[in-house]
Amino acid sequence: MNGRAVRLGLGLVTLALMLAALYMVFVYVPTEADQGIVQRIFYFHVPCAWVAFASFALVAIAGVFYLWLGQQVWDDLGYAAAESGMVFCTLVLVTGSIWAKPIWGAWWTWDSRLTTTLILWLLYGGYLMLRAMAGDSEQGARFGAVVGIVAAIDVPIVIVSVRLWRTIHPAVLVTRQGGHGLEDPRMVATLLVSLAAFTALFIWILCLRFVTLRMRTRLGALARSLALAEAAAQD
Amino acid sequence: MTSFVAVLRKDLLLEVRGGQSTVALGALSLLVLVVLVFAFNPGGGEQGAEAAAGALWVALVFSGMLGATRAVSAENENGCIRALLMSPLDRAALYAAKLAAAFIFMAVAEAASIILMVLFFNLEFDARVMRLVPAVLLGALGFAALATLLAGISSRLRGGDLILPLLAVPMFVPALIAGVKASASALGGASLAELALWLKVLIAFDVMFVAAGYLLFEYVAGEE
Repeated sequence: MNGRAVRLGLGLVTLALMLAALYMVFVYVPTEADQGIVQRIFYFHVPCAWVAFASFALVAIAGVFYLWLGQQVWDDLGYAAAESGMVFCTLVLVTGSIWAKPIWGAWWTWDSRLTTTLILWLLYGGYLMLRAMAGDSEQGARFGAVVGIVAAIDVPIVIVSVRLWRTIHPAVLVTRQGGHGLEDPRMVATLLVSLAAFTALFIWILCLRFVTLRMRTRLGALARSLALAEAAAQD
Repeated sequence: MTSFVAVLRKDLLLEVRGGQSTVALGALSLLVLVVLVFAFNPGGGEQGAEAAAGALWVALVFSGMLGATRAVSAENENGCIRALLMSPLDRAALYAAKLAAAFIFMAVAEAASIILMVLFFNLEFDARVMRLVPAVLLGALGFAALATLLAGISSRLRGGDLILPLLAVPMFVPALIAGVKASASALGGASLAELALWLKVLIAFDVMFVAAGYLLFEYVAGEE
């Protein structure tokens, strides 16, 4: 029951951080001068992007360990990370579109970061479809690991090629001289709290999903040994 | 190395003696080009060159998917793959041979598509068309490397034909961007040196995916 207490604690921490982030985004932080109220979505958009990228990196790392060690636990971790990451990747695209409509005047542009995120979303959508199709098998786990690794190899070259192709996305975090950064320290504080809140949310969701997958693995093993025992009893 | 040559020789021999892969690939490329001529209604000139480059790469993607599927799934029929896996053949050599076969099928289909593209899009057979060749060959190699690995997965799943394009096309995007850009500027009269940036992206893509396929194919064409 120790694990249950940890998960409960994690949920409570996530709740507290999320409430703090909501308060800061809607009440505490000053409205950005140029973009107005819409800019506040940025405090959810960036943490979602960070979590999505981190989770997809986790898919690849788990894939490497699964192929190396062959332990089911790594596959359960990778699968859980891909599913949770997909949720946040979808949120990145949705919040980005909501922001882009008033600021750029279009829901979607083929800017480099938008395109990269969309391709990432398609890649991991393909991963999840593959897993759904392969079912609950050792083969499915192996295929998932291979695709997770190959997709992660693909990401850097997607970023480079799409950037060479075009870019208009504001460089908020990598401020160049005279570029737009976050002028007010309250903005930085809000972003940091939001990042912490979303990271906690991701870890919590990942834990819940991971535990569910672990249970499913154990249940499958039990069902198999039960079937074997029954077959032996009949002989 | 000898096992690589043996498997490749077998595949090419099968193809020469009445295999239909290259014919099917060529026919598919022809159809794609015809469909895209209807879709774009190219008027020739500068814009025509860009549409032609795009059409050529769409044809490449489609024929690549078919080529890799043919090279890999031909072994699944009659359970030949089991014999190959039981033989003392290195999995990586098997991958290399399948990749080479898919690449050769694709290269033949691409040669046909380039000629058809020039005809359909009212271009000229001149040095500009020749400068397409490096980009198209690099693109074909990259797609063959990627699709051979993924066809190893899709051919072993029920309903797997569906999953191959869903995985291969998003992964191929970097090479697609570089290839279309390089081809459009080549047809627009750019010199090879001006294409160097895009060719480098294609080379990077090829190196990474050939290496990834070589290392990971072992886990795809696994036991059972």
